[in-house]
Amino acid sequence: MNDISTIMRIHSSLGTFWWILLGLFFVIYIILDGADLGAGVFSLFLKNENDRAAVMASMAGTWDANETWLVVAGGVIFGAFPLVYGSTFNYLMVPLMFALWGIISRAVAFEFHVHAKGSRAFWGKMFGLGSLIAALFAGIALGATLQGFPMATGNAQGIQVANDPFVNTVPHFSGTALSFLSPFSIWTGIAALIAGGLAGTLYLCARFKQEDHIYKMAHSWATIFSFLALGAVVITLVWSYAILPSAAKWTGDGWFGWLILLVAILISAFKMMSAHAAHRDFPALLWCGAIVVLMWGGMWATNFPYIVPNTWTIAAGANPANDLAILTLFMTGFVPVMIMYNAYQIWVFRHRLTHLAGYESH
Amino acid sequence: MLIENTLPILLSRLDFAFITSMHILWTPVTIGMSWLLFFLEVAWLRSGNEKWYRLQRFFEKLFIVNFGAGVATGVTMEMAFGILYGPFSQAVGPFFGNILGFETITAFMYEAGFIGLMIFGWGKIGKGMHVFSTFNVALSSSLSAMWILVANGWMQSPTGVVLKDGLFQVTNWWEAIFNPNFNIGFPHMWIATLELSLFFFAAVSAWFILKNRHVDLFTTLLKPTLLALIVITPLQIFIGDELGREVATDQPTSLAAMEGHFHTYLPNGKPNTNWNLIAIPDVTAGKNLFSIQIPHVLSLLETHTWNGVVTGMDQYPVKDRPNVWVPFYAFRIMVAIGFFLFFMALWGNWLRIRGQFSAEKIRQHPNFLRLMVFSGFLPYLAVWTGWWTREIGRQPWVVYGLMRTWQGVSHMSVPEESLWFAGYIAFEVMVWGGAWYFFTRIIKKGPDLTSPVIGSEPSESAGGGIAQASFAKPTLERSR
Repeated sequence: MNDISTIMRIHSSLGTFWWILLGLFFVIYIILDGADLGAGVFSLFLKNENDRAAVMASMAGTWDANETWLVVAGGVIFGAFPLVYGSTFNYLMVPLMFALWGIISRAVAFEFHVHAKGSRAFWGKMFGLGSLIAALFAGIALGATLQGFPMATGNAQGIQVANDPFVNTVPHFSGTALSFLSPFSIWTGIAALIAGGLAGTLYLCARFKQEDHIYKMAHSWATIFSFLALGAVVITLVWSYAILPSAAKWTGDGWFGWLILLVAILISAFKMMSAHAAHRDFPALLWCGAIVVLMWGGMWATNFPYIVPNTWTIAAGANPANDLAILTLFMTGFVPVMIMYNAYQIWVFRHRLTHLAGYESH
Repeated sequence: MLIENTLPILLSRLDFAFITSMHILWTPVTIGMSWLLFFLEVAWLRSGNEKWYRLQRFFEKLFIVNFGAGVATGVTMEMAFGILYGPFSQAVGPFFGNILGFETITAFMYEAGFIGLMIFGWGKIGKGMHVFSTFNVALSSSLSAMWILVANGWMQSPTGVVLKDGLFQVTNWWEAIFNPNFNIGFPHMWIATLELSLFFFAAVSAWFILKNRHVDLFTTLLKPTLLALIVITPLQIFIGDELGREVATDQPTSLAAMEGHFHTYLPNGKPNTNWNLIAIPDVTAGKNLFSIQIPHVLSLLETHTWNGVVTGMDQYPVKDRPNVWVPFYAFRIMVAIGFFLFFMALWGNWLRIRGQFSAEKIRQHPNFLRLMVFSGFLPYLAVWTGWWTREIGRQPWVVYGLMRTWQGVSHMSVPEESLWFAGYIAFEVMVWGGAWYFFTRIIKKGPDLTSPVIGSEPSESAGGGIAQASFAKPTLERSR
């Protein structure tokens, strides 16, 4: 008995450890690729194809690594929480499918646009629209996940065979193709676009020379997006409090901690907007990142002990203890290494550009 | 009819088969050519010969178009296990999920963290750092291939696990990772990536020589490429044979399908040692309607003895038998290509020994050059047919002998699966068509022989930043 409870304690500690790391990977992904996707959405506002090419050139060396944080998050869900992976991704089939088509279009547009002549405008559109679709449906998928989904045991395709060892063990998703669709999930999709737009324009401000016309346009759009984002945050918080059961803890015993978090978010938002207004572009981008960290951390803490609210707890969705131990033992050390070489790559490509970057090809 | 061939299950298989088939078109070049680019860069740095630099920069353009297509199709793969095969992902999570997690952390991200430096870092980072980045891209993409083959090899020969509470729980990590199929399957795939990339080099070189453009430059490249191929092509045939023997041991139904081998024993009680050159198989009747047979060859191939017993399809119930048509013919196409490519390597080296590899003389062998251009496409077909043999031969199992394919399929409807299929046909064909269109554009444009060699003088190119001299200390630009 003692042995089993020890194993269960180890299991839930390791599961929680990977749940925190998963949150970290998502935060890094949203900060980095959120900016890239947002810049892609912003590029749709640009009239000149070479300006769009300049936006693409600004992220040429880093977009792939930024996007790969999503793959790392996916790999960690598969590696540490396969039961969550196999059911949640099934639930999110339709939104993920669209998001992936967006990601495909964007990825190839990067490489094709520089070589294209007649089809240059087409690939420019694919880059912008791909970014938009990816951000929109990723946001929808997030909102849908927060609402949870129905599960059942038995064969997922309803095929009944005697002595099937896989039924009545692990529950699988049992809803329909459109279970993900709700007013709230559509709203989170729109909110993701607004947030992406803010991150993208702040990013472009930090990447273009301040006298360049792309900088000027991105700067004024970032101001607009920052007010839109402020509104979107308020709506999302109120709406979440109204419909998500776990949000009740915001006004429960620990209300003081949540209040501090809210104040910290507001201070970061103020610092971001004032830095932006003063043309201190890099600090503005960092404060924007701080907001993402605080809000995602707040969301993660709100969901605890669930990984998917009302559907999968961390402990129920995690791999058996020995698998988590292997994953921890062999993979934890790589996490700081990954962060370091990514930081180096971003550091190498930190120079400010002008719109002329769009006239070059490699 | 087998459950695996009823509509929702069959469509889920097609959905997955399509995205994997379209993804494997790109990964071999990423894995194989990154090593070749590394060697070209090292050759340039060591010899100072500008030719290697020009070739490296030229093939790098093709490499990055290919890489973009590989990323575009690859992100889908990471999600598709959970989307299309959710219950499979859950059941195999303790092993397979962990391995995929290892892959993203130690390989996929590793590659992404250096690809930007490799492609866009010219002039922004020092030469040493650049060649280090190229090396890291090569190593990481090979690591990626290794983990994927660990995972897939385990599906072919699942060792080191027990099925408990609906999950494949690992009892021995060592046995599960170094499963029998992986030990030979990974070398086979890894060598295939090198072979494909070398033929990519050879075909492009032959094309330029045929067109009488940059003949000198590409003849220079053709020499080491053919020298590598004379080692690689027979090695691949040898490893392929070893893999066949491994499959005969661990996955007899798959081997029986590959060889159209229905009867273990002949009517007179002796072992059936006949190898079918071609056949018209009939799985339900459990025999070949027609076949051209050569005695003893099958036993020689699979047991390396004259009369060894090779387990036939008749030892297994009909519900455990895979389709025969696809593995049988796909396998034959792959093998034929393997031997043809060996022949091309022999021919090329024979010409070289006879002193035909100067810029003037090589052009007097247009048939060789034409066939070499053609040979550039064949490894792609061999990779496809090889994987189709492997994956269809494993049916009706998703984890051989332990989990049937239908047990792993997600909860989804036929319209959803159809939408997936139609959408991916549209997007993957766009990727494929676009990539090939831009390959041809880049090749037609030819290598850039005029712009200054990076590092020889400061330039404002490569993404707009001011390029630093090699090994210069980077400084942070003030915003105002």
